[in-house]
Amino acid sequence: MIYAVEGLNLILNGARLLDGVSFEVARGGCTALVGASGSGKTMSCFAPFGLAPGTATGSARLDGSELIGLTEPRLRPLRARAGFVFQQPLTALTPHLTIGSQLAEAAGTHDRRALAAMLDRCGLAEARLDQYPHRLSGGERQRALIAMATAHDPVLLVADEPTSALDAGLRHAILDLLDRFRARGMGLLLVSHDLPLVAKHADRVVVLDAGKVIEDGRAGTVLERPQHAITRALIAASPRLNSPAPTLPEPGAPLISASGINVRFGKFPAVAEASFDLREGEALALVGRSGSGKSTLARAVARLGPCDSGSVTWRGEPLPSRNRMRPEHRRRLQPVFQDPAASLDPHWTVAQSVGEPLRHLFPELTREARQTRAAAALDEVELGTAYRLRRPSELSGGQAQRVAIARALVANPELILLDEATSALDVLVAGRILDLLAKLQASRRIAILAITHDLAVARALCHRIAVMDAGRIVEAGDTAASIAKPRSEALRDLVSAG
Amino acid sequence: MKIAGALLAAIVVAALLLPPLLPWSYAAIDWDAVRAPAFSPGHLLGTDSVGRDLLARTLAGTRVTLAVATAAALVALVIGTAWGATAGWFGGRVDEAMMRVVDALYALPFMFVVIVLMVVFGRSVLLVFLGIGAVEWLTMARVVRGQVLALRNRPFILASEAAGAPGRAILTGHILPNIASVAIAYLMLTVPQVVMVESFLSFLGLGVQEPLTSLGILVHDGADDMDIAPLTLIVPGFVLVATVICLNRLGEDLRARMAR
Repeated sequence: MIYAVEGLNLILNGARLLDGVSFEVARGGCTALVGASGSGKTMSCFAPFGLAPGTATGSARLDGSELIGLTEPRLRPLRARAGFVFQQPLTALTPHLTIGSQLAEAAGTHDRRALAAMLDRCGLAEARLDQYPHRLSGGERQRALIAMATAHDPVLLVADEPTSALDAGLRHAILDLLDRFRARGMGLLLVSHDLPLVAKHADRVVVLDAGKVIEDGRAGTVLERPQHAITRALIAASPRLNSPAPTLPEPGAPLISASGINVRFGKFPAVAEASFDLREGEALALVGRSGSGKSTLARAVARLGPCDSGSVTWRGEPLPSRNRMRPEHRRRLQPVFQDPAASLDPHWTVAQSVGEPLRHLFPELTREARQTRAAAALDEVELGTAYRLRRPSELSGGQAQRVAIARALVANPELILLDEATSALDVLVAGRILDLLAKLQASRRIAILAITHDLAVARALCHRIAVMDAGRIVEAGDTAASIAKPRSEALRDLVSAG
Repeated sequence: MKIAGALLAAIVVAALLLPPLLPWSYAAIDWDAVRAPAFSPGHLLGTDSVGRDLLARTLAGTRVTLAVATAAALVALVIGTAWGATAGWFGGRVDEAMMRVVDALYALPFMFVVIVLMVVFGRSVLLVFLGIGAVEWLTMARVVRGQVLALRNRPFILASEAAGAPGRAILTGHILPNIASVAIAYLMLTVPQVVMVESFLSFLGLGVQEPLTSLGILVHDGADDMDIAPLTLIVPGFVLVATVICLNRLGEDLRARMAR
């Protein structure tokens, strides 16, 4: 065993965050810590290395040396034997230093050949040494960070959700890279809520809940024959491509039709000649990797973003431009955004946020009527009256997203725009939000335009799928058929990554 | 933090409430006690070179200085917030043009402009704080513009647009409340800056007119007499320094708390 944690406790301000956590990482092995958010996965990774708040007790041996109870100066050389990769490749690099100088600092050498070799084994060209982080894509930045974390040949790599900020297509590529380091004897401690990814790459799985290990075993055994109810819930919530196709409502008359939409950012064509249409009660998934123009197209059509040319018609009549949208137009379509924390005004209570569309779109309603409708909308997303006076800081991510959905529903729209509405949420919560959306879709016969890079979401909700790549719609068709037989390269990539 | 708050409160309360209780007003001359030392009968801190009570004059000067500073900082808050929020909200060319105006004004040697204004229009308290307020709003405008730019692309602003809220409602309902905390923190930091500018102008003899006084004038007069009556320099000097340090301390603390 390269790393063995036994009976790890972590106490912060009298609260026991970790309670007797034990797990092992074999030399060249990969142990995955899984669990809902707040279950203590990240704490379990960082507490032994003195990188988490609070007091750690118990035992953690890295290659035979005990980590717990050491003072900072004695812990530092041991910490240098491990490498750390964090979740946010976009913010973990210093923007004003070149990749080369940041790598040189991590590696402790300025020898260009050595630095180029470090980048090379992470799949990056030598030319990257002289570039600044903004020239690299998310996946390339994560590769650069892995190069830094592995520069001093650590015996253990601790990777905290290394792929969750990345597109599905890049996730396996990053894990394949980490597997290559494992082949040379490095142990990998992986935190992830992406169970398909864990199933493919990890050899041991440790399931955590509320700071305790509830299940521990070989990856195949734990994921295929889970013993504990919470493990089963995690697996059930993790959307799979081979789950049975849902029964979706029958679409009605044509609702919205967009044709020849173009959006340019400066000279860069973000959306080029994109067209689609949608019928009443029908759901269309716009899929594609990040930067392919999905959100820009959807916002242009919903008149919530720039639109340089192209026409949008609503039941055959043209929809006015962004500045000319009147309340009777805005009523028809409402958005739900990715980051629930950012989509609610931090100063407004839940009741105020949900009431906002009513104030502006239905000025004819009395105060009481508005309150009743807002309460009904909150009821529909399964939030009781107790939440009415809370502010966003007092809500969890899932609750905040429910509030955002209630705000979108309260105006009784015929179309809702889901802009990655579940991707910022933890698997369990995302699964429940997805169930809620499916229920609303069935009960209200509401049309949905879902932007996602997760094909499982597309399959759960949408009749049809449109695949975007570099601003163009490259493939469109029935969801199940398209996924079964992808015609475009963009969709093939997404399917093989999912 | 607590010490700074308590000391500042003590200075403000004393400046506002104490003067009527003193036997001598700030302008009255006690012919029997010219340059009286401290603890003379009726003059706790002594008198100045023409026999005016130093304690009364210091309190009156503090009052004038704080009034000018608060008024000028509020002027800066109003102009700066309006200018910065407008530039940030409209963006594009409007933003470009408005911020270039700010840059141009920044480039002017403002102390010099204020001095020219004083010389041309004569000295008055009104002109002092108008002049200072006109300088201090520039920083406020930049801070507010930055905040508005950061806020306007947040999803909740977009959701508000989708909810049919007109621009005015978004600005007053979402943008201004969300920048209020930052604006107030900068207001707190503007006040001590204005205290310094006002004192400097007064020290040069360009501030308020005799017999009305301010901390700057008192420090100026005290500096003339420092070898004979050191208290006339030490007392107003101490109040000035204490006020500025306390205000800065509180402002920084507030800003750190807002930044979280």
